[in-house]
Order: sequence, then structure tokens, then C-alpha cells
Amino acid sequence: MTRFNTNQWLALVLALVAAAYLAMAWQIPNFPLPRPVDSDLFPKVLGVSLLLLSACLFFERPGPIAGADQIDQAETQGPLLLTPWARVIVTAIAIAAYAFLLVPLGFVLASTLLCVGLTAYYGYRRHGVNLATSLGVVLALYLTMTRVMDVYLPTGVLPF
Amino acid sequence: MDAFNNLMYGFGIALEPINIAYVFAGVFAGTIIGMLPGLGPISALALMIPITFAMEPSSGLILMAGVYYGAIFGGSTSSILLNAPGVAGTVATSFDGYPMAKQGLAGKALAIAAYSSFVGGTISVVFLMLIAPLLSKVAVSFGPAEYFALMVLGLTAVVSLSDKSLVKGLIAAVIGVMISIIGIDMQTGTERFTFGSIHLLDGVDFLVVALGIFALAEVFYMLLRGGGGKEAPRNAIGSLKLTRSEVKQIAGPVSRSSVLGFFTGVLPGAGATIGSFLGYSMEKRIAKDGDTFGKGNIKGVAAPEAANNAACTGSFVPLLTLGVPGSGTTAVLLGALLVMGVNPGPMMLEQRPDVFWGVVASMYIGNIFLLVLNLPLIPLIAKILDLPKPLLLSLILIFCMIGVYGMSFSVFDLLLLLGFGLVGLGMRLFGFPAAPLILALILGNIMEESMRRALQISGGDWTTFIDKPISLSLLVIAVLSLGLPLLKKRRTKRLNTAE
Amino acid sequence: MTMLPLKRFAVLALPMAALAMTTSASAQEWTPSRSIEFVAPANPGGGWDTLVRTMSRVIQQEELADESFAAINVPGGGGAVAWAQVARDNGNPHKLFATSPPMILVPLAGASRYDHTDFTPIARINTDYSIILVAADSEYQNLDDLFTALKENPSLSVGGGSAPGSMDHISVAGLASAAGMEASSVNYIPFSGGGDAMTNLMGGHIEAVIGGAGEAVGQLGEGSQLRALGVSSEERLGGGLADVPTYQEQGYDYTFDIWRGVMGAPEMPEEAVEYYEALFAEMLETDAWREASDQLGWIDAYQDSDAFATFLDEQQEQFSSVLTDLGLMRQ
Repeated sequence: MTRFNTNQWLALVLALVAAAYLAMAWQIPNFPLPRPVDSDLFPKVLGVSLLLLSACLFFERPGPIAGADQIDQAETQGPLLLTPWARVIVTAIAIAAYAFLLVPLGFVLASTLLCVGLTAYYGYRRHGVNLATSLGVVLALYLTMTRVMDVYLPTGVLPF
Repeated sequence: MDAFNNLMYGFGIALEPINIAYVFAGVFAGTIIGMLPGLGPISALALMIPITFAMEPSSGLILMAGVYYGAIFGGSTSSILLNAPGVAGTVATSFDGYPMAKQGLAGKALAIAAYSSFVGGTISVVFLMLIAPLLSKVAVSFGPAEYFALMVLGLTAVVSLSDKSLVKGLIAAVIGVMISIIGIDMQTGTERFTFGSIHLLDGVDFLVVALGIFALAEVFYMLLRGGGGKEAPRNAIGSLKLTRSEVKQIAGPVSRSSVLGFFTGVLPGAGATIGSFLGYSMEKRIAKDGDTFGKGNIKGVAAPEAANNAACTGSFVPLLTLGVPGSGTTAVLLGALLVMGVNPGPMMLEQRPDVFWGVVASMYIGNIFLLVLNLPLIPLIAKILDLPKPLLLSLILIFCMIGVYGMSFSVFDLLLLLGFGLVGLGMRLFGFPAAPLILALILGNIMEESMRRALQISGGDWTTFIDKPISLSLLVIAVLSLGLPLLKKRRTKRLNTAE
Repeated sequence: MTMLPLKRFAVLALPMAALAMTTSASAQEWTPSRSIEFVAPANPGGGWDTLVRTMSRVIQQEELADESFAAINVPGGGGAVAWAQVARDNGNPHKLFATSPPMILVPLAGASRYDHTDFTPIARINTDYSIILVAADSEYQNLDDLFTALKENPSLSVGGGSAPGSMDHISVAGLASAAGMEASSVNYIPFSGGGDAMTNLMGGHIEAVIGGAGEAVGQLGEGSQLRALGVSSEERLGGGLADVPTYQEQGYDYTFDIWRGVMGAPEMPEEAVEYYEALFAEMLETDAWREASDQLGWIDAYQDSDAFATFLDEQQEQFSSVLTDLGLMRQ
């Protein structure tokens, strides 16, 4: 059995997505009033196109992958939490946490925490500068939005 | 001569000290607003209505117009420096602007953006002054069938935007259209692909996708490549000066794109985004060094910037001569004018020449202010790249989040932003181009809606698209622009084999 | 739905109940203890947003309340996102939101789990009306001409600014019923907003447009490319629309209100409702409101909480019957 190349793996994943998409497209209800083109036609065409394109991709010879060779190999040896992929995952989790904590903590606190935390995590050691810049930028943005532009942002636990 | 007299009259109004102050305040505020994603010109103008409430109408419009084109002018900054386009019109600017910044040419990219914006803005004001009343006929001649054809033409740019693998580019485009039709289908009120979530009823906002796929994905990518503190900060901003040959290089693209941008701007609903994408892909196709587009070609910055500023001026044509808004931003401007007691429309030139000519004249002044204001600011703003990289990365993240949250106030959209960031990272790692996805996202929904609207009007008769001359010619151009590069490729191949 | 800030025209309705309200003081006076969250269920710039911001500004300017009204935008789903959020705030007397016909229509279309009965009606504030427009060079001089043509050739297209089954469609379908047509036979073309529909009318791409009178008034008058055939109010409007006959004048027994009002969180305490009723009634009497309202072309149409509740139920009945005629009613 020959092993699949990258394009073939991608093609299989995309074909699955296309199939799921088509399954959903067929469940779009018809509009009670007659329409020349109803809501379901376009999705069906899109699903079929994606299916056909993934077939094309399956037979396309993969070019050199642009991104993968750029990963800093030296750093993959370091402590687990500081490897390149760990940095991406931790950042993603931090963003998700930020999204959920934004309203309860308030904009200023949540944003400053995220900014200071990630900066320190990425390896910046001058914590004073870090805190000052983060807080400064966040406060400036917050005051511009709420005071000047009259846009409401969650205040959270802070009194303003 | 008539136009000249009118313009002098307009300058008489625009040069009143109070109005000069308003132009300055408007473009200054606009520049700042444009730089902050999420604070688009629409919400900025909506929030200004109470301020302009009691103002003289010409002053009010001068101020608000200044904010509008100032925001488009300033919008390129975050595209170039951070790969974070805050307005749809400046997405195309990031394709070459951001690579230039990475190569240490941030100063030059910003300067080119400023000069091109200035020229685009100024050329289009000349058009606005000379042929606005005539153009109102062009604007209304575009019905659903014509829009469909225009969107098809716009989508042909996908081919030139997907460089390495056409298949991957097309896949990205199909996915872009798929995202664009999420939400309530305007033609029937049916929900599509919302997974039962009320947060998806209005679809996915452009800004969420663009910031995710461009800016957030870039941050993730830099983290993968080693975002640690040991890497030296990129402090090269480079010179702002353009060489004579560079000026020569961008002169053609800037003037072509200014005209193109102005005319797309005149069409209600088309606007800056299509103008900038069409300008970019047109230049990429006709340039001899087309294959360096996307890698930091100065023409790739000049063309979209000239186009989007010209389109912004163009969008004043339907607003002022017909009284119909061509975009969300001009809709708010229309509302503001009505509140001030001015009826934009066919009679406006006669009833309120002060407003019309005052604003036109103020745009000349405003564009000069913008140039004078922006050029000295460039080295200051570009200093943001001097920040230590860890700090810069977290600040970009915060910047994206406030951009998204300030627009929709929705935690769901923040999670969506994260999702698109990860999708964007995957696309980069596996060689899928992001530009076709964004273009298809912007155009896909309008294309479907106008196609179905046209068919609903014609009673299901598909010949409506080729019966109408404008629609037919646009479709022919679309076919040609797809076919010609292929022919060209085949011919060069044949030439090569002949050798 | 696009509802632009409106153009001025003369004011008709009088807030009758307002006078009665201000005198009645309840046993336990309730006053807000913190700032009031006043939600516009849409982005900045639309009709709901303008209402919320104008009311907040007038109340602050005239110092009518001790606590401030904070305008908050919660866009999404034609209002559904905001409604879901407010519905969770059971009994909160500090949460209000702006409302209009989509409050009835969106739930009827099945796009919101919450309908108007889930919230506390506070007051109806003002109203706009529907208007039928044709191109200035069109052969249709009145509603009769238009409907005769539509009956002969139902494929003639009538554009509007919102999706099928929403405000503009209901308004024109109801009128068609009154004209003796089958409601569902109108070839209604949804555009992305009233302005978009009017542009297409000027370009001759469609036959007629149904839109908001306030939005259309700027397009009418001398040199206009459009002509108004009828307006959905009970009596003629003033200002730029004084020449436009009502549907009823032309023998079509049909009216349609694009009302705007304020509702609050579910099960809001009685005293709080009374406080707000009195506050809004007082606000309608101020000069600042008068001035803003004139400039925006708003016509006051105050109703207190009870009257508003009854009115909303009637609206729901009326809309359901039109939707049933159209075959668009969710089972």
C-alpha cells in the first residue's frame, strides 16, 4: 500500500467536509413561495465544487510545503511548554479564556492580564516595561472607545 | 469654466476658517479611527450624528466626509505594519505592504500608501467635480443582473491571487463563498448553516475572518517560527524616500487604479473593496514582474491604495446626486444630512450648492492635510515595529480582540476569531492562499443575492444576464480575463518548445 | 431592515395618555438605583439605535432622571441576539430595549425563541408609515393603476428593503389582499435596504417599491425621479408628504404602522414600569424631544404599558393572518 502524500490527506479531509456540507445543504427547507432559485441551490453547487476540487487536489503533486520547514527546529528540543507548538496552543487557550473572562472581569483587567501574561510567557523579562506598556495601551484604547466614542465596554470588577 | 466657477465658490466655503478647522479635525480623527480596527468609519460617523446635529450642513458634511476618507487613508497602516486590515477596503494593501514591512521597508510601504491615497483621492475629486451629475445615471443603471456580472468579474481575480496552486486557490475561494452565505438568506428568510445558533443569524462578519486569517494566523506563525525573546527586534523601518524609478513604476498603477476605483465606488454597494481587489489583480496581470506581487512589490501597495481612496470619493456620487446611500458608511452620512435638514438628491445641486461644492472643495484640502499629516507620522507609527517582539505579538492579539469585540460586543465572535486564526495558520502551513478566501467572502454573498434577485425579477429567465448590455459586457470581460492568461501561457510554452 | 433617521414632516399624533400619566403617583415610588442599560438590538446608525440614543440624550439634557441611560448596542439576528440576552435578566428593572414591528415578525418567522409576550411592554413612543413608490415617468398615477396592472401581470416586481415575511413584505401583501389580490401573488423582491430598492426603482429594474415614508420623503418633491402613490396612515401626513393620498382615501381599507417603543426585562416590577411610563410621557413633552423628533421626522404615538401590550397582541394577530395568507407561517 502506497502512503498518501500531503495533498492526498488534505484532499480526503476536504472531501469529508464537502460531503458533510452537502448533507446539510440537502436539509435546507424549500421556501413556501415558488422561487426560480431557492436557498438550497447555491450551497449544493458549492458543495459539489468543493468535492470536485478536492479530487483535483488528490492528483496534484504536492509542492514544497511553505510553512513546515520554517519551524525553528532548535526550539523543539527545549522544555515542553516552550516548544513552538506549545506556544501556539497556550496562546489559543489564553484567547479562549480571555473571551470567557472578558465580561466578568471587565475589559481593562482581562486585556491587561492577557497582554502581560503572554508577553512574559513569550520570554520577555523586563516585567516593569511589560506591565507599563500593556496597561498603557489597554487604558488608552479603553478610554478612547468608552469616553470619546461612547462605545460601551464591560467594566467588570473595576469601578469604571 | 462652469465647473471652475463652482469650484471657486466651493473653495470660498471650504476655506472659511471654521471649515478648515473641521476638515482638519475630520481627517485627523479619521486617520486615528482608520488605524484602530473595529472602530470602522460607520460606527464613528453614527456616533458623530449628535455632534453635527446643530451644525451648518456644509460644515457638518465637510467634517464627516473628512472622517470617512481619513479613515480609509489611515486604514492602510495596520494592514501594512501588522497584517491586520481593519476595513475591507485595505485588505488588498496587506498583500504586498506587509511583506515590505517584514523586509524592513515599512517606511517606504507607508509612504507609498500615503502618496497613492493622496493621488487616488485627488484624481477622484476631479472626476466628482466634473461628471458627478452624469454619473448618477451610471449608478442607477446597475440592477441585480449587472451586479451579478460585476461580482463574477471580481471573482476572476481569484485566479491571479492564487499563485502556486490554482486548485488550492479555488478551494480557498469556494470556502470563502461558503462562509459568506452563512446566516439568514435575504431572499427567503431561511436560515442556512447556522447550526441553530443565534450568533450566526447575521452571518460571519468580514472583520472576524480577516483579522483571524491574516493577523492572528500571522501571530501563530511567528510563534511557530520562534517568537522567543532571543530574536532581535526588527528595527528597520527604512527610508521614506522613493527613488525616481520607483515613482515611475507606480505612476501607471496609481493612475489606472484611481480611475478604476472611482468608477467602482460610484456603483452603490460595490465600493472600495472590489475596486482595490480589481486594481490589484489588474496590475498583477499586466505587470512584467507580476510574479513578485505578494512578495513586497511596491505596485501591489500603490494600486489598491489609490483605488480604495478613489472609490471612497466615488461613493459620494450616488449619495449627493441621487440621495441613495451606496454603502453602510454613506447610509449614515445620508441620515446625518437629513437630520441637518438637507435633502441629498437630484435637486441638491440647485437647492444646496453650498453643501455640494463646499464638500468637493474641502476634499482637495482634506487630501493635502492627510498627506502632510501622515508623512511625518510614519516614522513615529512605524516605531511600533521597534517594540520587543513578545510585546508586539501580544499587543497585536489585544488589538484584534478589541477590534472584533468593539464591533459586535459578542464573546462568540471572539471565539470565532480564534477559530479563523487557527484555520489561517493551517492554510499557511499547507500552502493555501488566504487572499482568494477573503475576496470570495466579500463578493460571494452579493453575487448569490443579486443573481437570485435578477432571476426573481425576470421570472426565472436566465437570459436576463446576457440580454442587458452592461451585464453582457462585464461577463465577456470576465471570460476574457480568465482566458487570456491561459492563452498567453500556452503561447509562451509553444515558443519555448519551438526554441 | 434599514431604518434611517427620518426626514421631518408635520407632527400628527398627540400623546394623550401623557397628561393622565404624569398626575398618577403610585403608592410606593420606585426610582432607579443605578444607571439604566438601554439596549439597541442593532448596530449604531439604524432606527433602533437612533431611538435609543436620542431618548438617552433628551432625558439627560432635560435632567428627567437621576440616573443616566447608557446606550448599548447588541446587534445580531434582526434583534434575536439582544432579546435572548434581555430575556435572561428576569425582573431586572434597569434593563430596557427599543422595539418595533420586527419584535413581532422575527419570532413569527421562527428566528427567535422569545416573542413580545416574554418581555414587559413599557410604552409605545412614535411611529412611521409605509409608502408605495413608482418611478416618476411610470404610467401608474394611483394605486388603482398599479393594482390593475399587478392583477393582470403578477410577475411585475415590487421591491422592498427587507426579507420576505418581514415588515415591507407584510405591508405590501396586506395591501394587496385589501385590493382583492391574493397576497402571495405579489412578486416581492427583497433588497438589502430601502435605499437599495429605491435606486433599483430609479434605474427601471423594478416596477414599484414599498418603503418607509420617513426614508422616502427625501426622495420626493420637485425634480424627483420617484412618485408616491399612497401612504399607509389613517390621515394624510404633513410636510413633504401632504400631497400623497392615503390608501383609505383611494378605497383600500388598510393601514400599516411602523411603530417604535420601549420594552423591558421579563417580569419587571409594576412600580418600575410606572416610573418609566411617567418618565417617557414627560420626555415627550420636552422641547428637546420636540426638536429632535421634528428633525428626524418622527410622529409621536405614545401608549402606556397596558395599551401597548394590547396593541402588540393585535399586531401579532394582524401579522399572523397576513403570514398565513402568504403561506409563510411557521407551524
